Order: sequence, then C-alpha cells, then structure tokens
Amino acid sequence: MTLISRFRSPRTQGILLLTPALGVYAMFAIWPMIDVLILSFQDWNGITENREWVGLRNYYHILYNDPVFWVAFKNTFIWTVLSVVIPPLLGLGLALGLNQKLILRAPLRAIYYLPVIIAPIAVATMWRWMYDPFFGLFAQLLADLGLSSWAVDWLGDRDVALYSIFVAYVWQNVGFSMVLFLAGLQSVDSSLIDAAHIDGANRRQVFKNVTLPALRPTITIVLVLSTISSLKAFDIIYGMTGGGPAQSTQMLALWAFTQSMEIFDYGRGSAVSVVLLLLTLAVVIPYMRWSQKQESDAQ
Amino acid sequence: MKATTLLKGSAAALLLCGTSLSAEELTIWTINYTSDRQVSALTAAEAEFEALMPGVDVEIVMRGTDEHKTALRVAAGSDTGPDIYAYWAGLGLGGEYVQAGLSTDLSPYYESYGWSDRLTAPSQAFSESFAEGKHGIPFRFSGEAVYYNKELFAKAGIESEPQTYEELKEAAVALKAAGIPAFTFGGTVNWHVMRLMDVILETTCGVDKHDALMAMELDWATEPCALEAFTEMKWWTDDHFLKPFMGIDNRQSTTLWFANRAAMMLEGDWHVPTIDENADMENFGLFPFPTGTGRLYGFAEYMYVSTKSDQADLAAKFLDMFTSDEFQTAHLGAFGALSVNKNVKQGDDALALHREWLEVFAQAEGTFVNGDQAFPLDVTTEYFRVINELASGDLEPQAAADAMAGFISNH
Repeated sequence: MTLISRFRSPRTQGILLLTPALGVYAMFAIWPMIDVLILSFQDWNGITENREWVGLRNYYHILYNDPVFWVAFKNTFIWTVLSVVIPPLLGLGLALGLNQKLILRAPLRAIYYLPVIIAPIAVATMWRWMYDPFFGLFAQLLADLGLSSWAVDWLGDRDVALYSIFVAYVWQNVGFSMVLFLAGLQSVDSSLIDAAHIDGANRRQVFKNVTLPALRPTITIVLVLSTISSLKAFDIIYGMTGGGPAQSTQMLALWAFTQSMEIFDYGRGSAVSVVLLLLTLAVVIPYMRWSQKQESDAQ
Repeated sequence: MKATTLLKGSAAALLLCGTSLSAEELTIWTINYTSDRQVSALTAAEAEFEALMPGVDVEIVMRGTDEHKTALRVAAGSDTGPDIYAYWAGLGLGGEYVQAGLSTDLSPYYESYGWSDRLTAPSQAFSESFAEGKHGIPFRFSGEAVYYNKELFAKAGIESEPQTYEELKEAAVALKAAGIPAFTFGGTVNWHVMRLMDVILETTCGVDKHDALMAMELDWATEPCALEAFTEMKWWTDDHFLKPFMGIDNRQSTTLWFANRAAMMLEGDWHVPTIDENADMENFGLFPFPTGTGRLYGFAEYMYVSTKSDQADLAAKFLDMFTSDEFQTAHLGAFGALSVNKNVKQGDDALALHREWLEVFAQAEGTFVNGDQAFPLDVTTEYFRVINELASGDLEPQAAADAMAGFISNH
C-alpha cells in the first residue's frame, strides 16, 4: 500500500482528524485528573517546590478528622436525590403542558428555558438579593401580606439554607429537563395515542401505557444528566452562601475547591476530588454501558 | 505634499507603536476597597507614578479578599503574576509567602531610600519577622475598635463610653431594654463575627493565655478562659445582635448600622471615611473594646515585591513614591487614621473620628492580631465554623471549645 493510499483510507483520516482533539483532551482533562490523583497522596501548599509523599494520610484526615467532609457528603446526597426527582418531574409537567396546542406556546417555551442560559453565578447573585432578610423580595412580600413572622433567614439558617439554594437551582434547571422531555414527546407515535383513544383509554391511561413507555430513553437520559450535574453542583452554592452558614451548605465539589484554593491544602482538596470522581464514575459508567448497548441494539 | 504628510503620519504612528511596545509595565495586585477615598488614592498613585516615570504603565488590579488570596496563590505556582502584591503582614498570610521565598529582600532599598527612618516603628516591625533581610513595606497600620451611635446610646440612657467589659455588657442590656440591638455583624463573611470572639478571648484570657491559645500551645478544651470566652460570645449572639445576621455580609451590616438599626460595630480605623461619606460623623463615637489588657486589636498591611518580578528597582521606586511625605500627606486618612510615614501627621482639620483614633493608638500598650492572621488557614476555617455554629445556637460553649481542641490536636 502506497503512502498516498494510506492517507486516503478512512481509518487513517479518522485518526488524523481525532489526534488534535485527543491531544487537547489529554492535556486539559486526562493529565489534570492524573495530577489530582497523585496530589491526593501528597502534602503541598501550592507555594513550596517540594510535594511530600504522605500515602493515605489525606484520605484518613478527610474521612476521620475533617468535621466538614461528611456534612458535605450528606448535602451532596440530599441535593442529588432532590435534583433527580424535582426538576425532572416539573420539567415533565411543563413539557406535557407545552406540547399541547396552546396560544403563545413558542414564547412560553422560550421563557421557561431562558434561566438555563443564564450563568449560575448571575442566578446566585439575583437570588441572594431576593433572599435578603431585610430588603429582599420575599421579606418585603411577606411584610406586605402581614406575614413577617413567616420570614426566615433564608440563607443564614442552617436548617433551610440548602433548600433555599435548591429552589434557585430548580428555577434555573427545570427548563433543561423540559426541553429534553419536549424532544422526547415528539417521538411518541401519535397513531398509537389515537388508537388508544379509540380503544376507550382515558388520558391517564394513555399517559401511563403509551406516552410514558415511549419516553423511557428520555427519562433515563434526564435522570443520569441530572445526577451528574447535581454531583458537580458548585457555582450556585459558592455564589449564594459560599458553603455557609458554618459550612452547613458545603458540597463535595465546593469543599474540594475550598480545601485547595482557599485553605491551600492541595493534598486534602485532591483527596475530596477523588472521592467525588469515584462517586460520579459510579453513575457514569453504568450509563455509558447502557447507552452503548442502546446504540448497538439500534444498529 | 500628500505623500510627505502620509510619510510623517506613518513615522509618527510607528514612533507611537514603538513607544507603547517599549513601555515598561508595573503590575500591582491588591484587594478591593470600599471607600471612594481609598480607591482615589490608588488611582492617584497610578497616575502620579506614570507622570513621574514617563514610559511606565502602572496597572493596579483590585479583587475581592478571597479572590485576591486565590489569585496570588495560583500566581505563586506559575511564572506570571504581579510585580508588587499587597497582603496582610501576619504569619499565616504575608509571612507564609516570605518564608516560601516569594518576597524580594528589600534591604538595599530600605537603605538607599532611607525607609527605616521614614516609617513608624510599629508598622515596619513585621518586615524582619519571617526571614533574613527586610520584606515588604507597610502601607497601612490599622486598629479595630467599637464605633457607636450617640443618638441610640442617649436613647438607651447611656451617658458615657464603657470603660470596662462589665460596663459594656450593662450598656448592651440597657440598649436591649430600649429595643435596640447592641451590635450588628454580617455572618456570610466569617471574619466579621470573628472579631467579637477575638476581643472576648483577649478579655477573658488576658495577654499571655490569649497569645498561647492562638499559638495553639494551650488546650482549648481544658483552659477555663476559652470556655468562658465562648460562653460570653453566646451571651452576645443570643440576645444582643441585630438579627438575622448569618445571611448578610459586612456591607449590608454597615448599611443597617447607618439606618440606626443597631448601636455598635466593631470596625477598623479605615471605617472613618465610610462614615464620613455616608452619614453625619458627629453622631458617631468610638472606644477601644474594653479588654482590660490595654492592647490594641489591629494589624498591618504590606506591599511586597515579588521575587518573580524582573523590575524590582522600578517596583521599589513606586513604593518609595507611595510612602513619601508628599503622597502620604495628600492622601492622609484614606487608608486609616495613621500614616505609616512618621513625618506625616493629622492636622487640626482632621476628621473628628481620626482624632479619636490618634488617641486610641497613643494609649495602646502593644497589639494583638485578628484570629485569621494568627492561625494557619485550616485552623482559621475551623475557628470560623465553630464561632458561626455557636452564634447560630447550634453549638454549646463547651462543645465549641472541644471542637477547637479536637481540630488543633489533629493539625
């Protein structure tokens, strides 16, 4: 085979086209991950030249001596469960509503989707002001309604702060689930729905026995993406409470950042990151295997 | 004719390009300042130095406190970064960079420019504390004290400034009886509430034990004065804070103080321009927190020349201008009541609160620094958490003392 004919082969061209992207990916994604893994076994403050090898000491510290790690772990778990249930349910409801032939359907879809394109840090700033206990929107509304006693320190009370942030998160992310479900609804065969109606099925039965099964691939994608996104939750919490009050809204991603970039203990920060990575892989790997199976089944 | 004009124009353009390409750049990183006067002083420094050194382009980059710390740490691990960086002079902050070899020894410049003779002794004390030679130059020496609202004190029947801790507590009780919260703090920035804990520790423990606790040489769990300090802290946060406070920051807290929602704030001498710009200064007074030790609560801020800068001479020239008699006189009071330049003193036209500050500085018998400057960063983070838990009512004083002791023992 001549050199020219080798270049013309689809396999070679494929490799050539992929190489630059692979190089960039290796440099900016794979190598940092490996470096974080190595750092998690070292003690480094970011300014000294030497990184001391400490074995599993960082892991021992975060698991047994760190008063915040398990708070962050619990919060990440609560956040993930809520993220997997509430935004997808609301998104499905909105998608079903906006799939009907309504007046102003297109503008309404755009309005519900709009928060998705706003930067999370901007959403955090906006909601932080709305939650201000003295001058915020909610405090003023409750005062106007004569319900001042209902007002709480939305972001300062450790019992409600995490859920207050979650409301802002739902406001921003429900549009994302909605768009995926809307796309999924377009694939539901209308002839099946018509046939079910002819057979005497009511709306609830049509939804349960026709629409929902057809949406199963979309539901899986929404749930997996919601789980991954919730495990990575960082910017909206950083912007609204910074993990406070008293670290009660810490999450694993934010605690890894705080350890590394505010306390400057890169070893412990990396150990938290590795734990988070393992949790994420536990979700992503089954998802990838499932999607590969779907692809091969389709072929 | 047209060709000549075009040529001349091109030559001028090339000359301009050449000038801009050959211009020296001096980059300075510092924190954001809230007062217009502080920002104006920095802007003036930029303009004056560029006028003094034609061809030099000064860029002052201001960031939030945490962002400044992070940016500096990232720069420390790379080849980029500022020529000059402003930082707090305590061991856990500026001292760490000095010990890591990231600050240029300025001894030759102290000698050639005569800085040792120019600067006040307390302000330059940190320059020799952490390594051989002289590191950094002070641009600010700050004290923190209690500012109070005279109108609200009068409303509560308080006729004189509290001289002892017991009198301060009596004042708080009187204020509460008049429906006025004693203090306002912003809980989202952890260091704001921490200030009260710091001064209470100085009050209950005295000089030696307080210093030993901050140096982590005493056991927080078994030392009675530490437990007493947490108990006192709880007394204040339970009944004498403007609430809610955990969900607001120091700036919102200041706004509420200006709106007469609370009587006192624990702030630094840098707060005077803010009061001057936002309220009637005649309505406010100040007194040192009555710890009973005579020490002033305060710290110094320095400008350091990075060892990664290849323009140390130019940086030193800037620092010389910044601390000069002329510049310090022109901007006296912008960064605090005291200038770091011993030749520059407040005149008869000084703001009333600055005059009070001069008295406070004159009477101080030494200083003690803020907790977040005394502890290593991880212990500081735990100190914040414990104080906030206590202030929120989620931790009892003994549990707070135990938590500090436990974290320090694993440090």
